Amino acid sequence: MQDTTSDKVFNVVNYIFLTLILLLVLYPLIFVLSASFSNPLYVLKGEVLLWPKDFTLEAYQKVFENKGIISGFVNTFKYTTIGTTINVILTIMAAYPLSRKDFYGRNVIMALFVFTIFFSGGLIPTYLLIQNLGMIDTLWVMVIPNAVAVWNIIIMRTFFQSTIPDELRESAMLDGCGNIGILTKIVLPLSLPVIAVMVLFYAVGHWNSYFQALIYLQSRENFPLQLILREILIQGQTDDLVQGTEESLIKQQLSVEGIKYAVLIVSTIPMLVLYPFLQRYFVKGIMIGSIKG
Amino acid sequence: MNKSIENTENVQVHNVANPKVSFVKSKTKWKAIRRNWDLYLLITPVIAYFIIFHYFPMYGIQIAFKDFIATKGIWGSPWVGVKHFQRFFDSYYFWRLIGNTFGIGIYTLLVAFPIPIIIALMLNEVRIDKFKRTVQTVIYAPHFLSTVVVVGMLLLFLKPDGLINQVIALLGGKSIDFITEPAWFKTLYVFSDVWQTMGWSSIIYLAALTAVDHQLHESAMIDGATRLKRIWHINIPSIMPTIVILFILNAGSVMAVGFEKIYLMQNTLNMSASDVISTFVYRSGILEAQYSFSAAVGLFNSIINFIMLVMVNYFAKKVNETSLW
Amino acid sequence: MLRKFKGLSILLALTSLLSLVLIGCSQKESSNDAEKGNKEPDENFIESGMPIVKNPLELNGFAGKFIASQEWNDLMLWTEYEKMTNIKIKWTTVQNDQLAERRNLMMTSKEYPEILFANAMPPTDILKYGQQGVLQPLNEYIDKYAPNFKQLMEKYPIIEQGLTMADGNIYSFPTFYDPEFLGLRIGGTPWINKELLDSLGLEDPTTIDQFYEVLKAFKAKDSKIIPWGSAGGIGSMVNYLRGSFGLNNHGTANVYLDLDPTSNELRFNPTTENYKQLLMYLNKLYSEGLIDPDIFTVTQQEVYAKAGEGNYGLIHSVDPQTLWNLDYYVGANVLEGPGGRFLPLSSPLGNIGQFMITDKNKNPEASVRWMDYFYSDEGSKMFFMGFEGLTYEEDENGKLVYTEHITNHPDGINLDQAVSLYLMWPGGNYPGFVREQFFQGAESKPTTRAKAEKALPYAIDQQDIWPRFNYTLEENDQLTAILTDLDTYITEMRDNFIAGKVSFDKWDDYVKTLEKMGLKQYMEINKAAYERFANQ
Repeated sequence: MQDTTSDKVFNVVNYIFLTLILLLVLYPLIFVLSASFSNPLYVLKGEVLLWPKDFTLEAYQKVFENKGIISGFVNTFKYTTIGTTINVILTIMAAYPLSRKDFYGRNVIMALFVFTIFFSGGLIPTYLLIQNLGMIDTLWVMVIPNAVAVWNIIIMRTFFQSTIPDELRESAMLDGCGNIGILTKIVLPLSLPVIAVMVLFYAVGHWNSYFQALIYLQSRENFPLQLILREILIQGQTDDLVQGTEESLIKQQLSVEGIKYAVLIVSTIPMLVLYPFLQRYFVKGIMIGSIKG
Repeated sequence: MNKSIENTENVQVHNVANPKVSFVKSKTKWKAIRRNWDLYLLITPVIAYFIIFHYFPMYGIQIAFKDFIATKGIWGSPWVGVKHFQRFFDSYYFWRLIGNTFGIGIYTLLVAFPIPIIIALMLNEVRIDKFKRTVQTVIYAPHFLSTVVVVGMLLLFLKPDGLINQVIALLGGKSIDFITEPAWFKTLYVFSDVWQTMGWSSIIYLAALTAVDHQLHESAMIDGATRLKRIWHINIPSIMPTIVILFILNAGSVMAVGFEKIYLMQNTLNMSASDVISTFVYRSGILEAQYSFSAAVGLFNSIINFIMLVMVNYFAKKVNETSLW
Repeated sequence: MLRKFKGLSILLALTSLLSLVLIGCSQKESSNDAEKGNKEPDENFIESGMPIVKNPLELNGFAGKFIASQEWNDLMLWTEYEKMTNIKIKWTTVQNDQLAERRNLMMTSKEYPEILFANAMPPTDILKYGQQGVLQPLNEYIDKYAPNFKQLMEKYPIIEQGLTMADGNIYSFPTFYDPEFLGLRIGGTPWINKELLDSLGLEDPTTIDQFYEVLKAFKAKDSKIIPWGSAGGIGSMVNYLRGSFGLNNHGTANVYLDLDPTSNELRFNPTTENYKQLLMYLNKLYSEGLIDPDIFTVTQQEVYAKAGEGNYGLIHSVDPQTLWNLDYYVGANVLEGPGGRFLPLSSPLGNIGQFMITDKNKNPEASVRWMDYFYSDEGSKMFFMGFEGLTYEEDENGKLVYTEHITNHPDGINLDQAVSLYLMWPGGNYPGFVREQFFQGAESKPTTRAKAEKALPYAIDQQDIWPRFNYTLEENDQLTAILTDLDTYITEMRDNFIAGKVSFDKWDDYVKTLEKMGLKQYMEINKAAYERFANQ
């Protein structure tokens, strides 16, 4: 099929536009990378523009010096894989029934779910609950209290509703397929893109989380990566608690500038690798054509 | 078996006055429930999760109406009614806070919402796979940058002698005081937000676009439609349910202007545009943990957000098929 | 539509009823664990000397720490002290930034320990918990069993004034900065570039007019020079000049309050003519480019980074020699202005909520003795310097210094980290008595001391310094509501006036707005607090 002239113009404009966006985003990212390898003094003075100035590995050294890094990585990996698995399974278990128009009570249940986005009892009752359940300082506190996100249920439900035609379901039922069968044999295989998105959303959520760990974990050997990385950043900040100023505190403040960027790079690389890996699931659905006729 | 399917699909659940039909309806309702028993079973663990971890602790909302004293617990702390809300409403800064918070929220909604959609639509048209994958991964990366780093970079580039002003000088203009000028604050906040989140937000639309019926495109091309026309008439309507749902959800976050980024971008000279509810509450709690006050303000925010969501959802229902409930 | 709401509300009602029953039942009413008013210490207790108890005693403690990886149950400071006292403290620690959050959760779940250490508890919380009986009053115990602290209190009345809560009780031990530790106490003057002064043939300025001329000369000399900068923002500059404009004659602990010299009444200084003059002076300087143009947005780190180039004519910061080996900065003079020539000081009391005993503590006497030791000479020495031979030694002049092992640790870590292998003071959050001979920060350097000595003749007298006033719970309630708005407005307007964004024609509007914000009530509350303080 030949492109019309307007199509050719569109192509060119499209590529230009996307390239501009690419550069706009790329520059600051390169800056972050360079800053992580630069002497923090120059970063603070604004003299680092594109390439590292006064190349140094000091920031990364400081980050890896922290004895908790390895266990942090292992823990985060644990929490992320177990957590994401639970998340995705539960999300499917809620999104599918809600996507069925003949599921009586779907709107009430949806409203009840949505209500929890806005109203919550806050930290204290939740903490007491978790404490009473004996989950403090365990693996479970990192994967159960945040087991499902309403946003994601809604997104998945929307996807099921708008991409799985009713006719497909009906013909499956005619063939003697039950609800669960429809879910596993038809809906899920066709929903790989949205499942990939869910895996991404939840995995990133776990990977970046630190607040849950901050409040509920006590033993350092259970700490996730973000918490460990945060420790060294906190130690370089002034506090309202500190009255006098101290020389090494100042020097530490300066080096925090560089550490900030190194921390970012270290904690982000795995996630940047995950996305391209999941991208291959964003392929056009195979089935739609087969229904027609 | 066919008959029962037909039955449930023909009977609409409307408010009907006729008792006889109601009786028939309720009988079919129970039939429907029983027939889909496995769906109910499927969703039960999730419902249990919400009851335990979200509804159970909800009694904590009371904190907003009490003078919370930790050792007395939530139940034992004295009831003070709307005292904290009153304090918030009586503040000299109340209207400024509402204005700034709501203003930033709406500005974000109007600007940051369409851009990821456009990006997804454009990326979808790219046929060179390597280029597409590269752009996707790169623009998704800023989402992972910590707020501290993003604001740090922003302020660095915007300094009176920073990169942006140097470019302005090259073009013959005068240096702009971006950081201290209240008029610039909201724009800087919103556009840096867009920069950081547009890649991440486009993912969901990209996923939705994979479900667009290829045959529709083929027949449109046969009819001679240009790409632009095809995007407008096929792609966009196909992902419309996703767009609408996300719009509704985002409308429900309009007052949820985060604390950290504003706090880092704020200074005494731009406060008139940059002081929002979350930073105000933070300042009021700086001396001691003001649980009750921040709980009250938080509740106020949530109520406004919830109302926004319900309203937008209602309009969505009127205008098209897609809505939350 | 209606039906859905019905279902919703029924479900909500049921769940809240359920949670009411279950949670309400599971929360036991607080049993009064402590035997209140148990006046006689038990037999195990030894009244003076070491150890503190005959048989080993174990207590639980909750504390905030600076270095996250520090394990207090293995820390030499505590293991050695345990050997001395026979008291073992089982520590639960968190990094300082989560201190308040964790403590609140602990208090709510009633799982707090016997001792709260390095807790930085705000005064209102102290009073709240004290009145609830969660914290034990210490007045009697200090009197009988804390000789070191008692001695300090007698020498410096401000300690008792600052610690006593509105109900007359003392519930905590504070961080106390030795008034004789000049380098730490007198820090309000900036450093001045002596080399630059000399090269321009100028004299060290002593009046605000001379100061202005010197700044102009600095600026004219070289465009790279920033005549006056600050790592503490414009606030440091304002505080430097307060005395010159006759403000804060009783210190800066209650920064909006001082005593009107003519009427001897409590005065709110942000609405005074003097304060207006101060702002106008700074505005003049700012508009002529004599103050760092980025003063309102620059961060502390940025200033320290820039300071290395030696381009600041005057700078409020840590000694440039310590930071960058620039030895041509000396302390500036306290300036004479229309209000006089004096330098207000902050309260020598730092955070007052640093050591508390809870109602679960059945050994209050022993606990108080445990804390009191650190206010003595030997205790301070151990707390800040550590252990002779290992962490510190005496140099030729008899001065105590850290050993090579600490200053040049084989693992390449910096001083704070090396010290933190044995002690817990880095970070600045602790109860104790901070004295020059034991504290090895930048403030004890000779340059800093010299700067402080130069300003000493003009510093206000120790006995004139007011501590931060303490309020009753009701007063505090009203105050927080007023202060949030007041603080925001005063700070915003201060900067907008100085930056020239708001004209001084609007001064009367500014005063009127402050009055609308509850200024009258603010003053009434503070007059009451002041009276309580004055009558002690």
